[in-house]
Amino acid sequence: MAVISVHDIIKSYGHIRALKGVSFDVEEGEVFGVVGPDGAGKSTLFNILTTLLLPDSGTATVLGRDLFKEYLEIRKNIGYLPGTFSLYPDLTVEENLIFFATMYQSSIRENMSIIKPIWQQLMPFKKRPAGKLSGGMKQKLALCCALIHKPTLLFLDEPTTGVDPVSRKEFWEILGTIKTQGITVVVSTPYMDEATLCDRIALLQEGTFIRMDTPPNIISSFKGELVTLRTDDIFKLLRKMADCPLNCTFYPYGENLHVIFYDPIATILPQFEEFLQQNDIAYDNLMQISPTIEDCFIEIAGSTHP
Amino acid sequence: MRVILILIKKEFLQVFRNSLLWKILLIAPLAEFLLFPYTADYEIKNVHIAFVDHDHSRMTSDILSKFSASHYFINHGVVNSRNEAEEMMKGDEIDFIIEFPADFERSVVTQEPTKIGITANAINTVKAGLGSEYVQHVLADYLIGISENAQNPLQPQVAQLVTTNVYWFNEQMNYKNVIVPALLIILVTLIGAYITALNIVREKELGTIEQVNVTPIKKWQFLLGKMIPFWILGMAEFSIGLVIMKLVFGISIQGSLLLLLGLTAVYLLVMLGLGFFISSVSRNQLQAMFIVFFLFILFVMLSGTFTPVEGMPDWAEYLNYFNPMSFFMSAMKTVILKGSTVENIQDQFIALSVMAVILNTAALLSYRDKVK
Repeated sequence: MAVISVHDIIKSYGHIRALKGVSFDVEEGEVFGVVGPDGAGKSTLFNILTTLLLPDSGTATVLGRDLFKEYLEIRKNIGYLPGTFSLYPDLTVEENLIFFATMYQSSIRENMSIIKPIWQQLMPFKKRPAGKLSGGMKQKLALCCALIHKPTLLFLDEPTTGVDPVSRKEFWEILGTIKTQGITVVVSTPYMDEATLCDRIALLQEGTFIRMDTPPNIISSFKGELVTLRTDDIFKLLRKMADCPLNCTFYPYGENLHVIFYDPIATILPQFEEFLQQNDIAYDNLMQISPTIEDCFIEIAGSTHP
Repeated sequence: MRVILILIKKEFLQVFRNSLLWKILLIAPLAEFLLFPYTADYEIKNVHIAFVDHDHSRMTSDILSKFSASHYFINHGVVNSRNEAEEMMKGDEIDFIIEFPADFERSVVTQEPTKIGITANAINTVKAGLGSEYVQHVLADYLIGISENAQNPLQPQVAQLVTTNVYWFNEQMNYKNVIVPALLIILVTLIGAYITALNIVREKELGTIEQVNVTPIKKWQFLLGKMIPFWILGMAEFSIGLVIMKLVFGISIQGSLLLLLGLTAVYLLVMLGLGFFISSVSRNQLQAMFIVFFLFILFVMLSGTFTPVEGMPDWAEYLNYFNPMSFFMSAMKTVILKGSTVENIQDQFIALSVMAVILNTAALLSYRDKVK
């Protein structure tokens, strides 16, 4: 049975249409990722699913209950880590945890087993005001507070935004252990590399899901031929690429340029090299590579917006 | 129950950890009480006066010396002309010009109508108003004195000048008796409405309210969890104020202390409900502050705390039916100064209770744990 079942959710803020009809199911025990750039509608979707916001139209059930009629029941069994740090900064780590445990009529002792690995890292700081923790520690505390009542469904809205790479990796490892406890996780992220860590992802752009599948399936359905190259003057290259007569999509990727071609690589690559030489562009490391989720996202987003 | 207790505990932890807030809570009443009654002292001393005397009679010089003898006045003596006196007033040297007409003494003796010109510098309206009362007092005193000595008593025209002001329940015209209870009320209002409204809106700004809303807590639990701590703080502030009132100003409560506390308890409920309601309709602390400030000024102005209600038009009087501060003010003053009992102030009690119920219902209904 689906833990979450959403049907055609629409939400507007004045003239801005944040969600333009979103439908999906989340299965029990999976890590479901909502991936998309800033402003795609991720937080709006999370606020609706966590019973904080009412959509304009659409229906949804969460944990088998009607999202709009039985929201108080749903609240008992979900955990939510919002996109911005929302614990009491002037209460200590321990006071925050006790506070939220009590709000759920639970106690730290009762559910210590769930949060133990994270709580152990927080123990040295338990008398410190939550506002004075580092970014990574804040997120760990917020996660503890969201888990302390042993929810069966956990919502994490951009849990790793603004967190350093080491803590990000660590955070995802924690999510892995949460999953093993049978908790379904819905997580949003703007980082494409994190998307591959989910069981299933939905690519959200401008309020619509442009693709929803497992990461391997999304990667294997990549239709173009992906090529990467390096140059010292990426700006010049980008400028010249705008006049490239070949059928392609290009975008900077780290220090490199990625180009997606839609013709067989054997014929297109010599033409591309010729183009580069004609335009007097020095480059190296030109090669074909296999796509990442980010490449897939750009390909899909590009094809829906020609 | 456990949920409400932890909410209350959380609120107190935050208040006492916020070093500025609880210092303000402690220092504000002290500062207000110890400074304000002296600055808002309506008793006027050092009224500067000068005379323009067109009569130069014995009577006018007698009156002059009367003024010199009074410790309320600083007599600048007789100046040569009306113009000179006006220049002095423009230079802010004097507050009053008293002008005797040419045949003043003769007119008084022959009981013909005559006029004494009293010109007041009304930049300071309180000084002008009270000062002219004093001036009339001195003049009337003198004229009564001579009429008692004279063979035939003065006609009522002069007697009309005799304005007898008897200040009931505040016999010595001690404005502290009025100001100090008024300050108590302001203090309670500030704690009730301001701090509650700002506190809840701050939770909105921090996003903590969302984290609380996503828990299965009920609206009324949240409401109580906010109101109980601030109600306790308000009562504590009020009690501190009462102690200062007694110790520093020597004002004893004529009525029952319990009645006073009961009255404040209900009034605080009104203010807490108002604060909570305002926080529901405000998005940020700035908005909340403006709304509370606007209402606060309105309440104070209409209630007659610092300005007399008598001078207000009728519509203002009707507006006061919606002004909780006005009910609280009148009830509290009578309990403290007159020793009124519960029967005397039951109207105010009922009015405040009704307001408390309405505002808290509005607060509960307007609070959204789910946004449209």
